[in-house]
Parts: sequence; structure tokens; C-alpha cells
Amino acid sequence: MLRAMIRRTLLSVLILFLVAIFVFLATEVLPGDALDVYLSEDDVAVMTEEDIEEMRHDLGLDIPAPIRFFTWLSGAVVGDFGVTIVDQIPIGNIIFHPLLNSLQLGAIITLITMPVAFAIGATAGYWRGQRTDAVVSTTTIIGYSIPDFVIGTVLIIIFAVWIPLFPAVITAYNKAHPMELLAVSLLPAITVIIGHVAHLSRLLRAGFIETMNSDFVERARLSGVPERRIVWRHVLPASVIPTLNAMALYMAGVLSGLIVVEKVFGYPGLGIELIEAVDTREVHVVQAIAFLGAVLVVVMNLLADFAIIALDPRVRSHVSER
Amino acid sequence: MLVNGKSLGAILTHSPGTTVGVILVSLHLLNALFAPLLIPYGETQLVGQPMLEPGHANFLLGTDVIGRDFLSRLMMGGRTSITVAMVGVLGAVLIGTFFAVSAAYIGGFYDDVIMRIVDTKLSIPGILFVALFVVGFGRSVTVLTIVIGLSYFPGAVRTIRSQAMTQVPLAYVKAARLRGESTLSVIFRELTPNVVEVVVVEFAIRTSSAILIVSALSFLGLGISPPTPDWGLMVSEGVNQIYQAPWLILFPAVFISTLVVGLNFASDGLANALGLDAARGLHGG
Repeated sequence: MLRAMIRRTLLSVLILFLVAIFVFLATEVLPGDALDVYLSEDDVAVMTEEDIEEMRHDLGLDIPAPIRFFTWLSGAVVGDFGVTIVDQIPIGNIIFHPLLNSLQLGAIITLITMPVAFAIGATAGYWRGQRTDAVVSTTTIIGYSIPDFVIGTVLIIIFAVWIPLFPAVITAYNKAHPMELLAVSLLPAITVIIGHVAHLSRLLRAGFIETMNSDFVERARLSGVPERRIVWRHVLPASVIPTLNAMALYMAGVLSGLIVVEKVFGYPGLGIELIEAVDTREVHVVQAIAFLGAVLVVVMNLLADFAIIALDPRVRSHVSER
Repeated sequence: MLVNGKSLGAILTHSPGTTVGVILVSLHLLNALFAPLLIPYGETQLVGQPMLEPGHANFLLGTDVIGRDFLSRLMMGGRTSITVAMVGVLGAVLIGTFFAVSAAYIGGFYDDVIMRIVDTKLSIPGILFVALFVVGFGRSVTVLTIVIGLSYFPGAVRTIRSQAMTQVPLAYVKAARLRGESTLSVIFRELTPNVVEVVVVEFAIRTSSAILIVSALSFLGLGISPPTPDWGLMVSEGVNQIYQAPWLILFPAVFISTLVVGLNFASDGLANALGLDAARGLHGG
């Protein structure tokens, strides 16, 4: 078991290293570098070749890319992503509070989504192929098909414009108190939860059905264990294992799933920071946020696989082969 | 035409939901194809006073915030994102099929390298992946199409590879090898025809997901740029007039939603009819 876990961890480290190379390449080697952001066309027109070279030197752009990559990576590992191009502000300072705000909203959403999705998935799985299942399936397809910017803006039209219960735009700023943010999180949270519950409950339904069809459930049924007891004592606990991967996949996507809804409601999170960074071509901020997003995905998947290795003896050998 | 012993008609009407989906998608595709011939005014022309209400004598759905015909813009508003999504995903699925099947057949180090690249991409969440490219290459329809292709390529490889893995140990593959067929011939003539169903379902599911992503990107200002009409963009443009003219948001919202709902009902039905599971990895990729 330990061997499988170590193998799996090493694989995660390798993937994170590849992600770091990709994220670095995508922004450093693409046409135009940080200097394009720093200088306007007018600046370039009045500057001589030497001035520009000197500037590149000051910004460290004349250092070979592999060396810059390792400098960047060694900083990134300890949370130091360098400074912004235009204002030279440490990127850690810029993204710290938005990251916390997004994590808070993500946590609220996750805490509500998981039990609701589990209940819906188990219900639909139990009555699979019947009316309840058909209704749930139809509703969930609609639920994850409607874009979240549509759900969000329509909620604003209903609950801010037609029935003025909420403000249309959140005015809280980056360093707002967590409680203040909590108070304005209701509509953004509902917006995201609709799509997430729809998607997750579908995955959980599949896991539940898989468990219902497994041999040990069949054996329990044949030896006369009451159906109710089978579901509560055997199927539900066992269906947690196929559920874990779905949950990990889901939780890994929570932060990036907030980008749109933060923009819709003006919630001061990482998504707003990302869009602003793309607009102003602050490549290092985009880099940092993309890297953080990937770290979350890899860590969540790793934890889920750990749990599965620990809980399910059958997959121990499989996981180590992947 | 028969697929898996089922006629195309039987697949398209597999369940009531499938039928509804197929009808919605057909209506949207017909509109997208023929909109340029049907629209009353040019979709980027200023033709009247700004923000006229729906029901106006000259403008059925009124005009937008700078006085363009709203109906014309709505009808044209899906063409770009549908094209970007379909071309991007088609490219991803076709090239992905080759890499997936060859990885499953050849195996070893080649397979390992491909799968680690796939894992790497799958670790970077969709919108962040696109943001990395947009910040480097700027926003244009070409960049967007290529990025969508790159975004869906790894997911396609993973799904199709696992289907191909079930085929590789079968007798017909071994027989082909013993007959002296070349590696490429086994990949293209023997294995690929046997993963076609998965490829088709993959294309259907990923296209609807790509349309969602493209419209979300346009909403965020990272996708299709003005003055091209696009539903995602129209919703974000309408936000400033949310109190005076909520219909500027509601109409494009209905159009984009019916398209994606239709696509997902249709592809879910397609997957069920072919005995495949559509639920896996909808947000992945």
C-alpha cells in the first residue's frame, strides 16, 4: 500500500513539474514578451535599440529561458510568483486576498453541493429506469446545460430588478471581512450550486448503480437480507469509493468554476483578478493563477487516490500501474 | 443507415428527451445556416434609435443599446461560437483518435509519453488554460478555435484510448498482425473502425461543452470580440441596461440555453442508444 502511495505521489510531482514547464512556456515563449506590456508603441518609437536592450536587461529578460524558468519555479514552490510588470507589486500580495475569498465561496458551495448531490444521485440510482430516475435525469441535464452566466444574470433580474431583495452588484472589496462576504454570497452560491449538483449527482448515480450491481450486494440479497438494510448498510458505504474520484474531480474544479460567477456578481475573488490580468496582459499574474489552479487539481486527485488505495484493497495494484 | 444494428431514426428518437434535443438542435442549425438570408437588417448596422422596445413596427424585437436591430443580432449570434466549437472539437477528436489508438496499440514508452502529456493538460482547468493562450496570442477566432482544439484533445485521447485498449487484445488484431499488416494499417484499418461509436459520442458531448466554454469566454471578454454578435457577449453587454431593458439579456440567454440543452439531450440519447455512458467527464477536458 505504501509503495502504491509513493508511486502515485511521484507521478503527481512529475505532472506538476510538466504543468510548471507548460505554464511558463505558454506565457514566456509566445509572441511578444513582458516588454510589450511595459512599453507603449509611442515609447518604442522614441527609444533607441540600446535603450530597449538596457530595459530588457533591467527586467531580466535577457537571461536564458531555462534559467528564468528555474528561478520562477523555485519562487513559485514557496508562493513567490515575482512582481507585476507595470507596477512592480509582488504578485503574492495581489492574489492572496482574492484567493482566500474564492476559497471561502468555494467551501460554502462544496458543503452544500456534496450532500445534496449524493442524496439525489442515490435516489435516482435506487429507482433507476423508473419515473423518478427519468425526472431526475431530465432535470439534471437541463441543470448543467444552462450556462452559469445565464443563471446568474437571470437571478439578478429576478431578485434584484423585479423583486429588489439583493443589490445587483456586490460592492465588497478584496480585503472585506469574511462575514461581510458571506452575507453577499447567497446568489453567487446558488448560481454555481445548480450546475454543480446537476453534474455531480449524475456521476454519483452511476457510482451507486455500479455498487448495486456488484456481486456482494447480489449475495446479500440472495441470503435474504432486507432491501432496506442492503441499501443503508452495504450499498451506501460502498458507493463512497466510486464517488471519491468524482468528488475530487469536482472539488478540483471549484476554483476555476467560480471565475464566471465572480464576474457576474462582482465577487472579489481570483476570477476577477484573472480577467483583469488578461486584459492588462500581466502575464505573470495569469501564470500564477493557472499554476495554483493546476496544483489544486493535482493535489485533490492525489488525495482521492490515497483514500481509494486505503479503502479498497482491490484497486491497490491497479493504481500503482496507472 | 444502421449503427450497432439500430437505424438512425431509432437512435434519434430513442427517448422523448432525445427527440426534443434533436428538434432543438435542428432548429438552431437551420437558423445558423440560413440567418444571413433571413435577417431583416445587417447585424452590425446602426438602423434605428437605441433601445427601442420589442414590438416596434420596424424592429420586431426592438434595437440594442446603440441602435442595431436586435432580432438580426440574435439570429446571427450563434454562428461564430457554433463554428468555433465544432471545428475545434472535430480537430481535437480526429487527431486525438490517431494518438489514442496508436498509444493503445503500440504501448510502452510511446504510450507513457502521450498519457503524461494528457495528464498535464487535464490538470489545468479549462478557462485558465484558455486565459494562458489569450494573454499570449490575443483574441481572434483563429486563436480561439485552436485553443478549443487543444483543450479537448487530451480528454478525447483518454476516452478513445480506453475504448481502443479493449480492442487491442482481441483475436482480429492479432490475426491482422500475423497476416503481416503494418502498424499503421492495423491502427487505421483494424482498430479505428472499431472505436468509431465512441468517437462520435465524444464529438457530440464535447461540442456542447465547447459551446458553453466559448460563450462563457465571450461573456468574460476573453472570447469573440465586438462587433460580432454573440449570445455570451450580448448577455454581458446587456448587464449595464439590466434595469431599463432586461430583455436584452433574456433573449440571448434563452437562445444559448436552448442550444446547449438540446445538444446535451441529443448526445445523451445518442450515447444511451449506443450503450455508452454519457455522464463521465462532462466538465473534464
